[in-house]
Amino acid sequence: MTAYILNLVVLISIYAILSTTLNFIIGYAGIFSLAHAVFFGIGAYTSAFVAMNLTPSFFVAIPIAMVLAALTSLALALPALRVRGEYFVAASLGLQMLAVTLFSEWKGFTGGIGGVIGIPPVEIFGFALVKPWHFLILTLVCLALVIAIIQRLVHTSFGRSLKSIRDSESAALAAGKNITVIKTLSVVLSSSLTALAGGLYAFYMAFINVESFMLATSVLVMAMVIIGGTGTILGPIVGAALLMLLPGALSYLSFLPQTEIGSIQQIIYGSAMVLLMIYRPGGIVSPKTRGEAA
Amino acid sequence: MIRKRLPALTLAATLFSSSVALADDVSIGAVFPLSGPNASYGDVFMSGANLAAKHANEDHMLSGDLNVLYEDSQALPQHGVIAMNKLVNVEEVPYVLSAFTGVSKAISTLAQRSETVAVNGGGVGPDLAALGEYFWNVIPLANNEVGAASKYLVEELGLKRVTLIYVDDPLGAGILNELEKTLEPLGGELVEAHSITPSAQQFSGVAARVRSSNPDAVYIASYGAQQLQIVKQLRDNGVDQQIISYSAFSLPSLQALPEAKGALYTTQSIDWDSTDPVTKRFVDDYRAANGKTPTSYVANYYNAVRVFALLAKELEAQGKDVTGENLLAQRKATDKFELVGGSVSFQDNGTLLAPIQVLEVTGGAGEIKKVYAED
Repeated sequence: MTAYILNLVVLISIYAILSTTLNFIIGYAGIFSLAHAVFFGIGAYTSAFVAMNLTPSFFVAIPIAMVLAALTSLALALPALRVRGEYFVAASLGLQMLAVTLFSEWKGFTGGIGGVIGIPPVEIFGFALVKPWHFLILTLVCLALVIAIIQRLVHTSFGRSLKSIRDSESAALAAGKNITVIKTLSVVLSSSLTALAGGLYAFYMAFINVESFMLATSVLVMAMVIIGGTGTILGPIVGAALLMLLPGALSYLSFLPQTEIGSIQQIIYGSAMVLLMIYRPGGIVSPKTRGEAA
Repeated sequence: MIRKRLPALTLAATLFSSSVALADDVSIGAVFPLSGPNASYGDVFMSGANLAAKHANEDHMLSGDLNVLYEDSQALPQHGVIAMNKLVNVEEVPYVLSAFTGVSKAISTLAQRSETVAVNGGGVGPDLAALGEYFWNVIPLANNEVGAASKYLVEELGLKRVTLIYVDDPLGAGILNELEKTLEPLGGELVEAHSITPSAQQFSGVAARVRSSNPDAVYIASYGAQQLQIVKQLRDNGVDQQIISYSAFSLPSLQALPEAKGALYTTQSIDWDSTDPVTKRFVDDYRAANGKTPTSYVANYYNAVRVFALLAKELEAQGKDVTGENLLAQRKATDKFELVGGSVSFQDNGTLLAPIQVLEVTGGAGEIKKVYAED
């Protein structure tokens, strides 16, 4: 039982990093991206490639993955962020579709559709993290770091600029803000931290394939942010925990047939989103309880 | 306060009681797609596994009742790992049925680390044979089928020049390797190999290249709706050479496709009319319960559970615990298993060796042309 709970907590932590980094651009900058799974995938594939061909060291594989994700996001952000809102959504959707094809076809790097198997355990200063609770500590430390970085950033002038762009791009422009640079930086930072989650995921699962980095994952992470509460620190973590625990919790309800759990889960997701938008548009962590919200 | 909360606590305890097996019962797990677009496969797999458990219990093969605990993978690797974790760490089962290549690969690491046997009965990608000694396949993989296809083409039909159209994935790559390996010693030749993406639907360009290379036969290594398109478009574009494929051609929609008539394909050889007691009982009971003849998927998952029952029975007779480690050791010590389809054995890599049959698409159930013994 302990191992099962550890497994769930590790996955929740990884998804909490994903939702926290997506919340950084959605909640604070007002940039809706449907390509978050792309950077998750770049992080995972790059870390796996480095671990299998160079070294499984955390301090080598993860930084390389983060740099590669940052560069890729720059390629998306620079042209796409020169336009407003919905155009970025369309551009990010295009990137997501392009990336899925690339992940499926670039066999030398991603293993193609068959994926990458046999990823070695991550090492820290030569110590291989084999036991689940070792990995849990690493994941929780990473999550805490990501939260600390983002919390620090949103309380700086950079964070205030992001919020001003989110609330009124025209007003921010009139106030002399360089909107393109600020938005680009936020996307680059978010993507590189997302790659950290990708690296952790690859090392934890020891197997990755394209099915984990498709549009459905981007939508799932977005649902975590919206259900949990955008523009808050706690909201995305609550959202990640809820959506990751729901399938497992439903499987313990013995009166529900296993064949219906997936459908019930989808109905609960959909209903929760609709009800939240009606009664609590800010998400579960509502504006009344979120002291840190803008 | 406690009195006020008691009904709620009782309800919660009842709801979360799960399907906990009795102390003497023997449980195995299954990670199947039970919801989502692939849920229909899960239903098919479950019907085979449940029937095998029922037969094992009727025969009192084990000291307690054999239960199969199902978890939903939705055919996705991450869900599969969560489900496998629950089965291994909460239910503590020693044996888990698996399906779908992505899920099977994802759970294989946990199977290896926890010394839990994971058994595939659905995927045929050759890479499934290399997932460690705790990962078994109770189904011959596609590469086993290719040898029989090559023999039939060259030795029986005299068709020596073969062109391959294959999906660019591990399954397609495995078939390409196997064709290269098996045709040449027989005096055949792989003239060309055309790779296609899994989502491709237009094949007129491939058909033109096939026509220009003028092979004696065309091997198609695809699956699902795509293989129907390939066959149809090859015929529409004037490719009238013999078409041959592997077990994916068993798909009812392909069997009904007029353009596919006369095509050859290979499958694991199971004679549904066999008088062999295991096969006969399986077929009769399945027909009685479902009103139709079982498919090879049903037989494979029946066999997967039966393999467990046979191994566990032997372990219990020896006074040993039914653990993954002991199941593996016992499988290695067992030469033959009496399963649906006949007496079969496992290769060292944990993959079943079974006879392969060559069939012709006739518009019905397929006509058996030749059966090749396991090799």
